[in-house]
Amino acid sequence: MLEIKKLNYAYPDGHQAIRDINLKINEGESIALVGANGAGKSSLFKLIIGIAEIKDGSIKIEELPVGKKTLKDIRRKVGMVFQNPDDQLFMTKVYDDIAFGPRNELLTEEEVEVRVVNVLEQLGITHLRDRMPHRLSGGEKRVIAIASVLAMNPRVILFDEPTSFLDPQARRNVINTLDSLKMTKIIATHDLDMALDICDRVIILHHGSVFADGTVKDILLDENLLSQCHLELPLCMQKPRIR
Amino acid sequence: MSTITDSMNTINSLEEMAEGNTIIHRLHPMVKLMTTMLYLVLVISFNPYNITGLMVFAFYPVILMALAEIPYKPLLKRLLVALPFSFFAGLSNIIFNQQLALMIGPVPISYGLISFTSIMVKTIFTVMAVLILIATTSLPKISYQLLSIKVPKIIVEQIMLTYRYISVLLEQVANMYTAYVLRAPASRGIKMKDMGIFVGQLLLKSFDRAESIYVAMKCRGYDGNYLYAKPSPIKKGDWLFLVLVSAILCLMRFFDLSLFIGSFL
Amino acid sequence: MHMADALVSPAVGGIMLAASAGAIAYSAYKCKDDLDEKKIPLMGVMGAVIFAGQMINFTIPGTGSSGHIGGGILLAALLGPFPAFLALTAVLLIQALFFADGGLLALGANIWNLGFYACLLVYPFVFKPIVKKGLTPTRISVASVVSVMLALTLGAISVVIQTLASGITELPMATFMGMMIPIHLAIGLVEGIVTGGILVFIYKMRPELLESSMDNKKLPKNLSIQKVLGVLLVFAIVVGGGLSLLASSNPDGLEWSMENVAGTAELETSGNAYDSAAGIQESTAFLPDYGFKSTDGEGSAAGTSVSGIIGAGITLILAGGTGYLIYAVKRRKEKTA
Repeated sequence: MLEIKKLNYAYPDGHQAIRDINLKINEGESIALVGANGAGKSSLFKLIIGIAEIKDGSIKIEELPVGKKTLKDIRRKVGMVFQNPDDQLFMTKVYDDIAFGPRNELLTEEEVEVRVVNVLEQLGITHLRDRMPHRLSGGEKRVIAIASVLAMNPRVILFDEPTSFLDPQARRNVINTLDSLKMTKIIATHDLDMALDICDRVIILHHGSVFADGTVKDILLDENLLSQCHLELPLCMQKPRIR
Repeated sequence: MSTITDSMNTINSLEEMAEGNTIIHRLHPMVKLMTTMLYLVLVISFNPYNITGLMVFAFYPVILMALAEIPYKPLLKRLLVALPFSFFAGLSNIIFNQQLALMIGPVPISYGLISFTSIMVKTIFTVMAVLILIATTSLPKISYQLLSIKVPKIIVEQIMLTYRYISVLLEQVANMYTAYVLRAPASRGIKMKDMGIFVGQLLLKSFDRAESIYVAMKCRGYDGNYLYAKPSPIKKGDWLFLVLVSAILCLMRFFDLSLFIGSFL
Repeated sequence: MHMADALVSPAVGGIMLAASAGAIAYSAYKCKDDLDEKKIPLMGVMGAVIFAGQMINFTIPGTGSSGHIGGGILLAALLGPFPAFLALTAVLLIQALFFADGGLLALGANIWNLGFYACLLVYPFVFKPIVKKGLTPTRISVASVVSVMLALTLGAISVVIQTLASGITELPMATFMGMMIPIHLAIGLVEGIVTGGILVFIYKMRPELLESSMDNKKLPKNLSIQKVLGVLLVFAIVVGGGLSLLASSNPDGLEWSMENVAGTAELETSGNAYDSAAGIQESTAFLPDYGFKSTDGEGSAAGTSVSGIIGAGITLILAGGTGYLIYAVKRRKEKTA
């Protein structure tokens, strides 16, 4: 459903962020996109949602090429959950924030409410409906950010570090939420334990190109491979070192 | 630093109060906004030497606070912060107008003292009225209403966005400030020569943040136009409250209760 | 410095609200035309930055005192005049509501004094011409200091005029001005240096940020500023005229004394250091039947007889008692419920 061909991208300052990426992602896959800082994960996301302009190569989502003309339709198909929910939640009420996308689709206020209520119920956060985002905990904000994207009924969702800065329980809660979503997911993360839990495929980016692509087992258990690109085994696979 | 924590606490406590559910909280925001404005106009319309007529306006904040179950301590604290400015503005009246107005027993009272008192009382009343408004109505609710009186949408957007990010920014500033002071223990604040970098960094980070927000908006179909739900209509009960309170306030303006009571003495 | 509700008269407050509303409407109209939609979130965040930034105290070398940043010129340099004015308006409204900084009736005056001069007058006509030949750290610094000092002084003069026109203070105009202007020139110098420091830093790190707001295309042309001023002037005259008509045709209305607004009668009296209290009473009292000039003997001495003051005390106690009663009833209800 998502196809990337011969993608290259350089920032205006000349830094080559993406080098010749070719990828095919199937309907319903849950993919972990891993790699060291600066490996090109965010650049790839920016290209997929059309924030950065594709100059060399192509990205197609359900046969629709990403480009200036198709941007409106592309953004209906792709949603993105930002690493910092404060960037994503800019309205003063949770309800309004989740309703922001549907309202932009020019639905009637009744239709908007149906969407919002459904999403709130799906994620089990109906009690947060009338709260103000800036008064919520980090974990709550993260789930609301997911809800705000879900309300657009996207076909594929990109997650940028969904488990960062969370306490263990909030992290678990977010992981369960992610696991419950059945659409195609691409999760950029350093949290390899989460990838073990909820992903079926892992793609490693290294210096802007695909370094490895395979099943969770093949990649996340290969210590040698991981260390070559500044990663290490998931914590649960490491020998405990207790002093 | 204390000002930042102070203002965070102020916003927090007022927001918590606004989450209440009393008869006053349930009133339509527009009605509250209108009665507050009327109250303000009436209070400041008293001339500087008429403090007896002014006193009856104490009923409004007192009754509203009681009905809305607002704790008075935080409001009084905020009031204390607002008073000094009026105090100094009023002080000049005592100095510049020492004309004798009346004697209370052996104590001479000058016109300046009376107008000073008038300024202080007016300050207390007007500040309380505004605080009561925000303590019973959340800011987003008030801003929504601005749309229905044709305030340009861009202003409402600005109020909402600024309000949303104030707490984020306050926290960021507090963190940066702590980090600075920890490495400059002798300094009582940021050194003036470091302000350019300090605020400059804050601005650069904020530019990036604004960029991310814009991207997040774009991802959800934003095309330069914020869309809101229509503000809820004003109900019969709201109208009744508005008419009743306005009538009482106007009556209070032209009936000097203090003199009336005084005439029995 | 914020004007407070208690320091303006309804007429002055109303006229300043109308004038600021006019400036806001015009800015919103300008932004609708040629504002990059990207700027909407930027304006909101920058408003919050100014709000938080004003809480940072910095130490002024050699004085032992501390200062904080203003915002008008800084915002205008980062966002352009009209967006900056709107962003500042939002900040002032939030400050008025949550911190009792100023108030709702004085909001117009505050937007005018702190926003209008800096964003719509000084920035386009003083700051921009200085940096016109190209941005350099020196030019940015000079422009900042001059602009901030000028904007603050204009604001301070306005505060004086508005306060005197409201007939609240009995300070003679010359004394008031003599106090306000030097203070604000000094504050402006410090604030201007800091503003310059901030802008130079931004210029060094990300020059494109300043350049984009300097972009000539988005600049208000001189003509349009003149239009704004013209529109505002007409607005003020219409509103002022309307108020005075209302006041004169309806003497039972409020004490909306237009003499006070025009300032002449009142200011002259203050200049003469008050021949008699009666003189002020004449010029400030709009309703001779009410209050202190009551003829029927009751509240003869300026409406503030001893009995009146005692009555006022009783009124306060009654008000407090009513509040207490409502609290008590509510609490009992809760207990039984």
